[in-house]
Amino acid sequence: MSEAAFDDSEINQEDDSQEDVMTPAELIAKLEEAWLNEKFSPELQENKSEVVECVMEQLTHMESNLQRVKKGDTKASIHRMEVDRIRFVLTSYLRSRLQKIEKFFPHVLEREKSRADGEPSLLSPEEFAFAKEYYDNTEAYLKAVALKRMPPNLQSIDMLKAVPEPCLDSFVFLRVKEKQENILIEPETDDQREYVVDLEEGSQHLMRYRTIAPLISNGAVKLI
Amino acid sequence: MDPSEVEFLAEKELVKIVPNFSLDKIYLIGGDLGPFNPGLPVDVPLWLALNFKQRQKCRIIPPDWMDVEKLEEIRELEKREEAFTPVPSPYYMELTKLLLNHASDNIPKADEIRTLVKDIWDTRIAKLRLSADSFISQQEAHAKLDNLTLLEINTIREFLLNSLNCMFKLRSNLQAGSSGRTFTDY
Repeated sequence: MSEAAFDDSEINQEDDSQEDVMTPAELIAKLEEAWLNEKFSPELQENKSEVVECVMEQLTHMESNLQRVKKGDTKASIHRMEVDRIRFVLTSYLRSRLQKIEKFFPHVLEREKSRADGEPSLLSPEEFAFAKEYYDNTEAYLKAVALKRMPPNLQSIDMLKAVPEPCLDSFVFLRVKEKQENILIEPETDDQREYVVDLEEGSQHLMRYRTIAPLISNGAVKLI
Repeated sequence: MDPSEVEFLAEKELVKIVPNFSLDKIYLIGGDLGPFNPGLPVDVPLWLALNFKQRQKCRIIPPDWMDVEKLEEIRELEKREEAFTPVPSPYYMELTKLLLNHASDNIPKADEIRTLVKDIWDTRIAKLRLSADSFISQQEAHAKLDNLTLLEINTIREFLLNSLNCMFKLRSNLQAGSSGRTFTDY
């Protein structure tokens, strides 16, 4: 009887995270990694909705448990501190994504539009709605204050050209989680040659974001 | 990144405390802690250790490396070597600062340790400035930064990355005709 119940809960968990069963500690580690990656990368990273949802679930569950505990309980205050710390990471993560969406909204929407079916979406549904609304509002605002008073041939605006693109050539600091071989480093100046480097596990590097962008999404390196 | 956020990450490091109260095991989201028994050392994250300490509920046992002799050795090695030497903890500076500010009565020779860690930090930051300078003047495209800690990277991050970006922009404008790369960031 009890065994069957246990099995059930495990299956449910698997459904939630869509991969192997993660312990809450691993989940928090994942969130922290996503937070730092998002903080340091010049462009928007893939959304981590499952991680965010799982963490939210953990937090609400814990908070509802804490509601029932009377004030002044030592254990409860420790739990509360932990909840506050996790919530801080979560909000900081979501906020840094929103900041990037505000900064690069036409490009974010463009990438979302040109995305092939089956490819994971860059934005969560909520973020997509936010980006769309931000786009419409900005456009409406520009029209209302300036564009409609312009000569007719100047009344349209191409947002893609008006808003700067994320600079993928920025340098980033990173730590290697899985060994990578033959990473091509492009030369800085014309009189230098390109060369390859191997990224050893655990080593730290400074290089262009463009070179290692795919390695971030598959989790082989993390930004620091 | 704000230095306080680096400190936030450092607060997850485990330290040993000797509690003066008893409490059952706590099942936190990030893992289980305890049980706590008076007089028995137990591992807890630094944020919790500092909280207990502030409420005078525990004594903190400083990490092994927070010891005058060991730190003197590290300082000498750091001065001798040209490259960065391995540090005793990835958050050595933050841990020292937090522990000395909040629990200096639990750390023997706290003042000496403060000076030693500051010496090590200064030596390393001087090296870091030198290597950043040569990185830029040689126009490198890749650097290996083993043994650097997050806080150290953070002290030069903004300045170095912004200057590299500026230089890249200036250079790509010069080469705009030949490389054909479009670049828009006003």
